[in-house]
Amino acid sequence: MASADKLINTDVPEKDVFAFHFLQSLSNLRKQNPFDTPDQKNYRVRKIKKAAYVSMARAAGGSSRLWSRALLRRADKDDNKIVRFSRRKRKVTWKISSKRRRSNQRAPVVEEAAERLRNLVPGGGGMETSKLMEETAHYIKCLSMQVKVMQCLVDGLSPK
Amino acid sequence: MNGAIGGDLLLNCTDMSVLERQRAHLKYFNPSFDSPLAGFFADSSMINGGEMDGFLATAGLNLPMIYGETTVEVDPRMSIPLETTLGTGNFKKRKFDTVTKDCNEKKKMMNREEVTEGEEEEKSKITELNNGSPKSIKKMKIKAKKEENNCSNDSSKVTKELEKTDYIHVRARRGQATDSHSIAERVRREKISERMKFLQDLVPGCDKITGKAGMLDEIINYVQSLQRQIEFLSMKLAVVNPRPDFDMDDIFAKEVVSTPMTVVPSPEMVHSGYSHEMVNSGYSNEMVNSGYVHFNPMQQVETSSDPLSCFNNGQAPSMWDSHVQNLYGSLGV
Repeated sequence: MASADKLINTDVPEKDVFAFHFLQSLSNLRKQNPFDTPDQKNYRVRKIKKAAYVSMARAAGGSSRLWSRALLRRADKDDNKIVRFSRRKRKVTWKISSKRRRSNQRAPVVEEAAERLRNLVPGGGGMETSKLMEETAHYIKCLSMQVKVMQCLVDGLSPK
Repeated sequence: MNGAIGGDLLLNCTDMSVLERQRAHLKYFNPSFDSPLAGFFADSSMINGGEMDGFLATAGLNLPMIYGETTVEVDPRMSIPLETTLGTGNFKKRKFDTVTKDCNEKKKMMNREEVTEGEEEEKSKITELNNGSPKSIKKMKIKAKKEENNCSNDSSKVTKELEKTDYIHVRARRGQATDSHSIAERVRREKISERMKFLQDLVPGCDKITGKAGMLDEIINYVQSLQRQIEFLSMKLAVVNPRPDFDMDDIFAKEVVSTPMTVVPSPEMVHSGYSHEMVNSGYSNEMVNSGYVHFNPMQQVETSSDPLSCFNNGQAPSMWDSHVQNLYGSLGV
């Protein structure tokens, strides 16, 4: 199905790429906290979740996708690196609102669903709806790949 | 009535779409209906630009060259008589307030009847007269091409190609607002519906749902559920505690059976002592390392491992959701 649609390129790498990146990030975590058992479970959970997302973004093609770029920037920002991202976002949303002023035929159903989608997909705030849907498609593929990898990992590591 | 129409046409091009619609309406019901302009429009279908240029000049519009260009594209379709096609198109147009339905139906119409291709071309030709802006006319060309190609039942593929390669020419459709903004809107909406179809293939269980709203809700739910799955899995990974007498061969067997992963060279492979027997030794090291990451003091494991153990007894991933709910409840998150 995806191969038949040549205009929208939503190829994701194979599962092993995702697995490799994720495992790499986990081993980095280990290096940072060797045999460390933080008191709060939540801290570890959050770290692992963040590692999962970041490794997914890297595996899915680093800077070649808007959502992965936004995700990585967000991650960097959380690590106290200053990121100038807001400027672009403002510029694009200006474009959207100006179009809305001119023709009030933007199917409101689509647009409100697009708003919800924008909150879910990283970097969605600065995208036009059609671009948003492309990114969503790729994002969905990557998410499902990442879920498979993590599932296998859990299965493998869990006590028998 | 004919004279009035003709006069009106020459005097006021913006009303033409309405008048044409009326005329075509009559023609649809009465194919033998004859008007002085019927010949004109029938000829316009065969035109190579000359007559239309004259008309356009009198109408005060200046579109000879572009029009000439576009006729080349639509030549093969032009033999289809006007009256059979215009009526249907007009009826379609009258009903629509939302253009989204319009596009979808148009596409359906196109695929169903070959006749409608000609209709689109005719419509586009005539409405071109209403267009003063070069941008919209350019955009109109791609619509012409698009509809031409729709008949080959390869619609989505080819039209997408065209949109990608040549965005400049699009035709305004007959009976619709020929504002350049509305044309842009229409193009945009078609793009969106294309992508919606693509997403529909991607999201499982979306075949039965028709309509953009339901589809989009499904997509949103799916993305949310995937994100939640990742969160639960990361909770699980944080909690899972591999036993100290960790058997690597076992883990590998399980891993290899459940997922056919290929070997990925890892830097740790070189330094480890494990590499010899294992096929996926890169993973083995990573697995061990990650096992250490998840090490938990025993008391923490006890409380959370009970729901996990039932999960870990080799149950299929399809049962995962129910167990995750158990886990979720037990963790009290």
